[in-house]
Amino acid sequence: MLDAYLEQVKHKSDKLMNYFLVSFFICGLLLAFFYDTWLVGIGIGSLSLIAYYCTKLLLPGSNAYQYIVSLVFSIFMAQFIYQMHGLFEMHFIAFIGSTILITYQNWKLQIPLALFVLVHHAVFGYLQYIGYDKVYFTQLDYMTLQTFIIHGILATTVVFICGLWAWRLKKSSETQIEQTYEMGRFQEEQLQRKALLQSNDELRKSNKELDRFVYSVSHDLRAPLSSMLGVIGLCEMENMDPFIGKNVSLLKSSIKKLDGFIIDILDYSRNSRMEINRQEIHFADLLTDICNNLKFMCSEDQRKVEVRTKIQNGVAFYSDRSRLSIILNNLISNSIRYQNPEAADPFVEISVEISASSAEIRIRDNGIGIGSENHEKVFNMFYRVSTKSVGSGLGLYIVKETVEKLRGVIRLESECGKGTAFSIHLPNLAS
Amino acid sequence: MEYKYKNVMVIDDNQIDLYIAEMVMATTKFAEKVICKGSAKEALDYLKPLHDHAEELPSLIFLDINMPEMTGFDFLDEYQNLPETIRKKCIIMMLTTSLDENDRKQAEKNVFVQRFLNKPLDRDKIAQLL
Repeated sequence: MLDAYLEQVKHKSDKLMNYFLVSFFICGLLLAFFYDTWLVGIGIGSLSLIAYYCTKLLLPGSNAYQYIVSLVFSIFMAQFIYQMHGLFEMHFIAFIGSTILITYQNWKLQIPLALFVLVHHAVFGYLQYIGYDKVYFTQLDYMTLQTFIIHGILATTVVFICGLWAWRLKKSSETQIEQTYEMGRFQEEQLQRKALLQSNDELRKSNKELDRFVYSVSHDLRAPLSSMLGVIGLCEMENMDPFIGKNVSLLKSSIKKLDGFIIDILDYSRNSRMEINRQEIHFADLLTDICNNLKFMCSEDQRKVEVRTKIQNGVAFYSDRSRLSIILNNLISNSIRYQNPEAADPFVEISVEISASSAEIRIRDNGIGIGSENHEKVFNMFYRVSTKSVGSGLGLYIVKETVEKLRGVIRLESECGKGTAFSIHLPNLAS
Repeated sequence: MEYKYKNVMVIDDNQIDLYIAEMVMATTKFAEKVICKGSAKEALDYLKPLHDHAEELPSLIFLDINMPEMTGFDFLDEYQNLPETIRKKCIIMMLTTSLDENDRKQAEKNVFVQRFLNKPLDRDKIAQLL
């Protein structure tokens, strides 16, 4: 960006330089009228121009031509002084050159000019002083040392100030460019932030719409199922023919299975999209609610499963109640569903230990158990251990997803015929 | 055997669910008369003129949530503007297929709602209410 700007400065200054150089050349021609110095006017003038344009053409990538132009200005000064036979005012040409050079914003360009002027004054001044003919430096017959020194100091001052201005100009362009750049970047950042906020809003909106959609679809799918179950309930209140009774109960279990499937999908979708809703968890209440819901879950040929709870809570535990409910509901209902007909007293034991940093939940049963070869796979989506599995194959997958959403860990220990134990470590979201 | 309640109202847009509620309440002797209303608006129109016939008012109102035109929650908003005689006599039970936590919370926050039941209404759920 800064480079682009400096390039632009250079380009504009180069254009100006063409006019100045041509003007100097023409000046030389005009001055030739006074003392008939045509040879000097045309000769030195055109040599200077040739030197300048050759450097520029031959070294296109370099700034050398700018130093040449600096030199050329001082040569013009010397030429004009000569052409006007030492007219004192012609010395000012050096100052004009010096000020023109500021446009390049490079103080070093003053150096060739200053050096040449120094050498020229020294040589020509000395030659005229020793009485060499046809050297025109000054119209004075005799220049005192004092005049010469003052002349030198003033010239040095002008050159120094012009160099200073060039340097200052460059510095201030640099800071200005930097500020403009910062400003641009800031504006761009603002735009990006705005776009981000907007897409965030859109995302939130579409999330809300999806939630609404899931809510409606699950309701519309489940409502007819609950009507069916209601009607079956009516039939069950009457004394049915055993054949019809059996068929009706088959219907009922199919409907329950379908309903369970829809609830699983609903749970899955909610867990993956909803924000964590942090609240204090009262495990005793939560477990009572869950057990009440599961009270009527056992099928006719199954025994009631004893639910034992052991809750050890010294501190308040914070987590997401509905997610915790999904986890416990799935695991406890699995314990009831997959009870071992050979066990003397089917039970499921839920123990909860709460600390300031976490809750350790353990759900242990004496059900049919899961063979070690299936321990990894049971958490996979739609994986069902055997044909005896009655669920959707989503339950444990959802449990794992939900535990992970709560930044917890779940472990499984189980042996076929002995029982199953799930250990869940959940962080306390107290802060 | 005596009926538990004289009048019970059921508000549901699903005719089958109305029929189920009516049958379950009749066979379990839960209600002598089941007033079935297919929309929340119909139910309000029925209740409003009864404010000076308290004996005619239903003791319980079973209210569905998802209904067209006027949802169960819209009904509850209107219900609080009804005369005190009605509000004192009637106890509202939500009866819905919704498993949504927010629905449950919203219903439980409402002072007129006593319970939140999930469909279908069956003998066991009625037994719990007795």
